[in-house]
Amino acid sequence: MPPSEPEDLKRLGERIDAAGKKHAGEEPQAQPASAYGIAFRLGTELVSAVFVGAGVGWGIDWAAEHWASLHTRPVGLVVMFLLGAAAGIRNVIRTARQISADMAPKE
Amino acid sequence: MAMNPMEQFEVKPVIFHDPLFSIAGHPIYFTNQALFMIVAVTVATLFLTLTVSKNRLVPSRGQSMAELSYEFVASMINSTMGSDGLKFFPLIFTIFLFVLFNNFLGLIPWTFTATSQIAITFTLASFVIVTMVIVGFMKQGLGFFKLFVPSAPWYLLILLVPIEVISFLTRPVSLSVRLFANMLAGHTLLAVFASFVVLMIGAGGIMYGVALAPFALIVCIYALEMLVAALQAYVFAILTCIYLNEAIHHANH
Repeated sequence: MPPSEPEDLKRLGERIDAAGKKHAGEEPQAQPASAYGIAFRLGTELVSAVFVGAGVGWGIDWAAEHWASLHTRPVGLVVMFLLGAAAGIRNVIRTARQISADMAPKE
Repeated sequence: MAMNPMEQFEVKPVIFHDPLFSIAGHPIYFTNQALFMIVAVTVATLFLTLTVSKNRLVPSRGQSMAELSYEFVASMINSTMGSDGLKFFPLIFTIFLFVLFNNFLGLIPWTFTATSQIAITFTLASFVIVTMVIVGFMKQGLGFFKLFVPSAPWYLLILLVPIEVISFLTRPVSLSVRLFANMLAGHTLLAVFASFVVLMIGAGGIMYGVALAPFALIVCIYALEMLVAALQAYVFAILTCIYLNEAIHHANH
């Protein structure tokens, strides 16, 4: 190890101490998420679940018509759309719970 | 003068004007998004290798940045997945840096934001979900299906299992839409305000001075976009951690 290293370390330690004193008494700012970020996250969770549900329903109807020649349209779309909306709300509740758990002050 | 705020997202061939090769009759071009993804990967690799090449005990600024990004991802994995999640460190660190550098590169004028294309973000998200499913079946076997079965009486399960399945299928969609929509919205907003400045200066007279208002807003939005770029890379990485955690540990929601 080159002899200059302990000198470097000492100076780094002094600088860290100085920075620590300067900010002594300040609470560390815990901002895990901005309000904009939360709103965007919850919005996409809800909307994408509705779209996925409707898409799956459309696919079920299409498959039933083409492979089994059952005319289920629009039943599959309607049912899966509603299930998708339910899944979206489930996602939003889960995400909101997770965000509030993240933001709760840690012991 | 281009006034269309969506023009910046146009994918077009660069450097080579002929298709490189074709797959099943579809010509494959070398596009601007491919170019900028290569640039992002190169810059990230250079950043990590050059800054730690001296490898000093008391780090320089660059080495501090590399070490900080390493420790940031490592502590993120530790807090969400526990220490046995650290074997996924290379994957998550790569995804984090790839998204981060693409987001930041896109903020430089005349560049292209690869993460503003749903094709790119959806590919990344599908990759994460496929990894999660494979790891889940390897670790838990058929017990992985318990992810779809919440604790409820059997007659409610008839309704709840399809909901959970759709909720699971939503993950790659919401993961990719969030990243791409954030990038798209921010860059469109910047372009719209920039076109205001151009129009007002073009109008001349008193509008010459009024143009300062949207110009000041651009500066503010640009600062916000810096935050969004970092935040979205973080969100993408931490959601990857959360999903992989459900694959290696038993799901408990």
